[in-house]
Amino acid sequence: MWSYTLRRLLVTIPTLLAVITVCYVLVHAAPGGPFDDERKVSEAVLANLQAKYHLDQPAWKQYLFYLNNLVHGDLGASFRYADWSVNDLVAAALPVSLTIGGVAMLVSLVIGVGLGIAAALRQNSLADHAVMAIANVGSVVPSFVLGPVLILVFALSLRWLPAGGWDGFGSPAYMVMPIALLTFINVATIGRVMRGSLIEVMHSNFIRTARAKGLPTRVVVLRHALKPALLPVVSLVGPLAISSITAAIVTETVFSLPGIGRLIVNGAANRDYTLVLGLVVLITVIAVALNLLVDLAYAALDPRIRY
Amino acid sequence: MTLTSVARACALASLLASSAFAAVVPAGVTLHPTQTLIRNNGSEPESLDPAIAETVGANNITRDLFEALTAVDGDGKVVPGVAESWKQVDPTTWTFKLRQNAKWSNGDPVTAEDVVYGIRRFLDPKTASKYAATYGVFLLHGKEVAMGKKPPAEAGVRAVDKFTVEIKTPFPVAFLPQLVSNNNLGPVHKASVEKFGKDWTKPGNMVSNGAYVLRDWVVNRSVVLEKNPQYWDAKNVQLTRVTYLGVEDGNADVKLYEAGQNEFVYQLPPGTYEDMKKKYPKEVRNAPMLGLRYYDFQTQNPVFKDVRVRKALTMVLDRDILAQKVTADGQIPAYGIIVKGMEGADVVEYEWAKWPMARKVEEAKKLLAEAGVKPGTKYTFSYNTSEYHKKMAIFAQSEWKNKLGINLELEAMEFKVLVKKRHDGAFEMARDGFIADYNDATNFLALIRCDSDQNNNFNCNKKGEELIVQGERSTDPAKRKQLLTQAAKLIMDDYPIIPLVQYSLPRLVKSYVGGYSLLNAQDRFRSKDLYIIKH
Repeated sequence: MWSYTLRRLLVTIPTLLAVITVCYVLVHAAPGGPFDDERKVSEAVLANLQAKYHLDQPAWKQYLFYLNNLVHGDLGASFRYADWSVNDLVAAALPVSLTIGGVAMLVSLVIGVGLGIAAALRQNSLADHAVMAIANVGSVVPSFVLGPVLILVFALSLRWLPAGGWDGFGSPAYMVMPIALLTFINVATIGRVMRGSLIEVMHSNFIRTARAKGLPTRVVVLRHALKPALLPVVSLVGPLAISSITAAIVTETVFSLPGIGRLIVNGAANRDYTLVLGLVVLITVIAVALNLLVDLAYAALDPRIRY
Repeated sequence: MTLTSVARACALASLLASSAFAAVVPAGVTLHPTQTLIRNNGSEPESLDPAIAETVGANNITRDLFEALTAVDGDGKVVPGVAESWKQVDPTTWTFKLRQNAKWSNGDPVTAEDVVYGIRRFLDPKTASKYAATYGVFLLHGKEVAMGKKPPAEAGVRAVDKFTVEIKTPFPVAFLPQLVSNNNLGPVHKASVEKFGKDWTKPGNMVSNGAYVLRDWVVNRSVVLEKNPQYWDAKNVQLTRVTYLGVEDGNADVKLYEAGQNEFVYQLPPGTYEDMKKKYPKEVRNAPMLGLRYYDFQTQNPVFKDVRVRKALTMVLDRDILAQKVTADGQIPAYGIIVKGMEGADVVEYEWAKWPMARKVEEAKKLLAEAGVKPGTKYTFSYNTSEYHKKMAIFAQSEWKNKLGINLELEAMEFKVLVKKRHDGAFEMARDGFIADYNDATNFLALIRCDSDQNNNFNCNKKGEELIVQGERSTDPAKRKQLLTQAAKLIMDDYPIIPLVQYSLPRLVKSYVGGYSLLNAQDRFRSKDLYIIKH
C-alpha cells in the first residue's frame, strides 16, 4: 500500500503541472487584464505596473518564473489585494473554508448515511418518502435561495443566529448556518445514494444467505450489508468535498464569510492571475489528496481490492 | 493673475481656514455612551497604502487613517487638514502652512518633509500608483516623473521650512486646495515605510496621521480602526472604534443591517429603494452625487459617424421615466456632461430637453431620415453584467424600438471585458459611468476631451479643446467658468455620449448615526464627522 501511495503521489506532479499550464493559458487568454479599469491607465503607468508584477517579460519567462516561485512555496503577489501575497491570503482564508466544509462533510456523512439506511430498510414506507422528499428538495433548491431563507428565519425572525460574518474560530454561532446549508445539500445526495446502494445490496445473494442463517436484521445490515453499500458513498466523498469548495462561492457570498470562495470570485473577476493560479493549485492538491484517500478507503471496505 | 484675483484667492483661503472644524455635535444632541460604528464599505480595499488606494472603498478607509493637506468635511466643503492655511502666491505657486500640533500616531510631528516624501513616492514609477499620471499632471513635472522621464525629486513640491510646503503647478490650478484633499497626495511616514517595506500597511506596523489608527485587518471580513489619541483634533473625534466591512452582495449587506450587525448599508440593492423607504423612512438616506450614468457612442465607428444619428438616439430617451420608474432610486435626469453641484462650470442642458416628447420624436425621426437610417436598423449595445445596467438597457431598447423603430442588440459581458472594449474602441454603443475624483468641471470634461485617456467616445472637438485649455490657463474664476461652460456645450453638441441620470446613492444608515449630511456630493464620509446619538 505504501508503494501504491507513493506512486499516486508522484503521479500528482504531472497532473499539477498540466492543470497549472492549462489554467495559466486560460487566465491569460481571458479578455481584459488586471489593469483594465474604468479609468484607462496611461502607457507609462501601465509599464510601471507591469514591471512591478513581472508582466513585462515574455509569457514563457513569466511562466517559468511562476513555476520557480511555486517550487519554493511562493504563490506570488496578489494584484487585487495589493498589500498581501497569495500565501497570506490563502493562509487566512483556507482555515475558514476547511472548517465550514469539513464539518459540513462529516455531519452530512453521518446524517446522510443514517437517513439512507433508514429509508432503504423501510422502502416505500412513509419514512422513506419523507426522507426522499427532503433529499429532493435539497437537490433542487439552489443554495443562493436556501441561504437567504435560513437567514430570514433564524437571524431576522427568530434572532437566534447572526445573519452572516465571521468572528474567528471561537464563535461557532457564525458557522451554524453555513454548515447547515452545505450539510443540507450534501445530505440530499448522500442520502439518496446510500438508500439506492443499500437496497441493491440487501437483494444480493450473500445477504439472503445471512438472513437464512437466522441473523437479526441489525446484524445483517451492520455486519454484512453496510460495508459494500458504503462503497458508492465513499466514491462520492471526493467530488462532494470538491463541490463544497465550489458551493462555498455561494455560501461565502450569502453569509459574508472570509473564505477561499470569495477569493476565487474576486480573483477571477479582477484577472488576478497569481491569486487564481494559486487557488487552482491549492484545489488541485486537495482534490488529488481526497481521491487518494477515497482509493485507500476502498481497500479498507472491499476485501477484493488490494494495492 | 491680476491683483484682485490674488486677493480673492487669499481671502478665500483664509475664509476656509477659519471655517468650523468637523464632528462638532450640535447643541441639544445627547451622545450615546458607546461611540462605535460598523459601516459596510461595499468591497474589500485593494490597499491601505494612500499612494496606491484607488477605489472609493479603499479611499474611505485611508481618509480615516491619513489626513492630507486639506480635507473635505461632512458637507463636502474643503477644510483645513494638516495644513491650517494656504495661499496662492502667484498663478502657479501655492504655499501650505502646516499646523505645528499635527502628529503621527507614534508621536512624531507631521512635517513638510513628510508631505514632500508622500507626493514624491506617489509619483515615483517604482510605487506604480494608477493615479500617478492622473493627479501628476497638476504638479510641475509631475507627469514626467510619473512617466519615469524625470526623477521624483524634480516634481513641483518642496519643503520651504519645517512646516511650509510649496507646490508648483504647470498651469494655474484653481482647485488645488480641493485636489490635495486626496490622500494620494498626502503625507506618509517615511521611517515606517522604509522599515517595513510592503508590510508597512499591516496592523501593528502602520503609522498614520489621521483621526484613526489601524487596529485589525482580516481580508474579506473587516478593517477595524480605533481613535488616534495623537490626532491634533482628537477632542472633536467622537467615534472611538469604526469597523469597515467588505460585503459586496447588496442583499447580504441589508440582512446584516436588519440583524443589527451593520449600521451603514453601502448601497441598497437595485429595485428595493421604494420598499425600503416605506419600511425604514428615517433610515433611508439618499444624496445626489457628483456622478453621471451615460452611454458612449463609438463616434469613429461608421454606424455612428453621423452626428444626426447620435442626436436622434440621444433625444428620445425619456429620462423622467428612466429615473422615476426604471432605476427608481432617486437619481436625477441628466441632459449634459456637467452635473448639478459641480464647481467650475454651469450645468448646460440641451435646448430640446424641455420639449414635449412628441416633438422630440418627430425631430429625431427627421434626423434619422436625413441621415439615411431606416427603421429596422440594428445597433449593438455593450454593458457589464448587472441587474441595474440590464434594466436601463432594456428601457433604452424599448424606447428606441417604439419611438424610432431602431433595434438594439444587448451584449452583456464581464466588467473587465467591457472596459477593454471601451478603451480599444471595439464597440458601437457602451454603458459608462463616472464619479468625480475632485469637484471641478475639468474632472468631467476629461470624459469628452481630445487625447484624454478617459475619452471612450473617440470624438475630438478642436474648438472645444481650445476653450478648455484657455479656461485652464485663466486665472480669473469667472472667465474660467465661462470658458469651460462654453466648451462643455460645444463638445456636447457633437453628441459623443448620451447623458442619462446623475448618480445618487441610496443607502440605509441607522437613525442614531449623526453627522451624515445629504450635501456630501462626493460621498466622502469621514468617520470623524459622524457620532452616535443616544438611543
